[in-house]
Amino acid sequence: MHSANTSTKAYLSDTGTPLRVGGVDMTFSHNTSNQRTLDPRTKLFLLLAANLMLFFHVSVITQLIMVVLFLMPLAVAGRWKMTLNFALTYAILTGLGFLDPEAMGLPWLHVVSALAVGCTMMLPCFITGAYAFTTTSPSAFICAMRRMHASESVVIPCVVVIRFFPTIAEDYRQIRNAMALRGIAAGGWGLVRHPAQLLEYILIPLLMNATNVAQDLSVAALTKGLGRKGEHTSRTVIRMRIVDWLMMIAMMVPLVLDVAGVIR
Amino acid sequence: MTASNSPVDNTTQTSNHNPGKPAKSGKLEVADLITIGVFAALYFVMVCVATLMSTLFTGGFGSIFLPAIAALISGCVYMLLAARLGKFGGITVMGMVIGLFLFISGHFVLSFIASIVFPVAADLIARAGKYKSKVLLLASYVVFSYGLTGPILPLWFMKDAYIASLQARGKDAAYIDGVFANVNTGTFFISMAAILVCAIIGGWFGQKMMKKHFIKAGIV
Repeated sequence: MHSANTSTKAYLSDTGTPLRVGGVDMTFSHNTSNQRTLDPRTKLFLLLAANLMLFFHVSVITQLIMVVLFLMPLAVAGRWKMTLNFALTYAILTGLGFLDPEAMGLPWLHVVSALAVGCTMMLPCFITGAYAFTTTSPSAFICAMRRMHASESVVIPCVVVIRFFPTIAEDYRQIRNAMALRGIAAGGWGLVRHPAQLLEYILIPLLMNATNVAQDLSVAALTKGLGRKGEHTSRTVIRMRIVDWLMMIAMMVPLVLDVAGVIR
Repeated sequence: MTASNSPVDNTTQTSNHNPGKPAKSGKLEVADLITIGVFAALYFVMVCVATLMSTLFTGGFGSIFLPAIAALISGCVYMLLAARLGKFGGITVMGMVIGLFLFISGHFVLSFIASIVFPVAADLIARAGKYKSKVLLLASYVVFSYGLTGPILPLWFMKDAYIASLQARGKDAAYIDGVFANVNTGTFFISMAAILVCAIIGGWFGQKMMKKHFIKAGIV
């Protein structure tokens, strides 16, 4: 099973180093056990369900049930810290949303309250997003996309995007080192003082390298037959298990009940 | 470096992988798709940086200025992609991939629609100038930048939610209007205008950088 989890193509394999982008841990790690995460398609369904919650303005009770349901797979996947963080954030935000500024005689609290309600609504999306991002290996993601008959012209750029994130992080580190060596924008304040110059000095080398890498990747990928017509096989096995179906049904029940007006 | 990046080299690669048919310049080949992927990754990183900056500047109000800041800093990426590819479809696919990744990273599903409609329009505008005309490229960059408005659309949804929760607590309509007097349309137009201004500045900066670095290095 372990070998089946490793990436299908050598050029797709990433280093597995954790990379923080936009505050989200993006670890496309190979040793994420397939046994303990859901099928990528179920994750997609969870994302949709979270979005539907936003769309239908579900009541607080439904929201609570759904958030607990969303947090379960995250805990099962072994992301305890993240689960706890989300649960705490949700509890605090819900509490803030129930504040009554009028009763306390502090009208400005409305800003806090409004923000809290807004963030609570967004939180299910972020939970499912974090779950999808941190527990899906690139090969499983690609395999799922192919299985859903996504066009090859979307699949290939997606592969490259996933593959390229660690490269960007590495390049950025190298560029910052080179800049520090020459005394350009060294330290935290240098970042703030010359934003345009900074953008130029960081982005241009990144882009220069990107054009080179694009060339190299194309050669490597074409050598390995990415441009071939016909069906592509994958060593990663993904299948819908009973847990997946159960999860989907468990998602739908509170949502449907809420929309039908049973839960208020 | 210049040798491996010359367009001649590029075409030999693309024709190598399917020798049966000649490499058509109008269609997206695998090599083009990989190029798009690389630039989409860079653009996505820019979006993440913009999210970070927007959150820092506007406090808790999250991503109101996310599209504007993203437009300001990612002009170079867009201009270089347009120049490198010069084919119809590249900008569209990049928008779609960005939309997909925004969706997977937990953004609102409507952001996907915005990130298809606007890039297609941007692609059409850029094609009208054959991916060479500077003015049309700038215009297409402005349109493309509006594709990122998807992530901030929930702001208007969450306004409804807050109004609903106020109503549930028995506040009257006039009071609610008072609370939201300066939050609704005002911020919307400021945010949209900010995108326009920032996209023009960012696109102009990108074109300047192109001229300064990439044309000289023979990459474009």
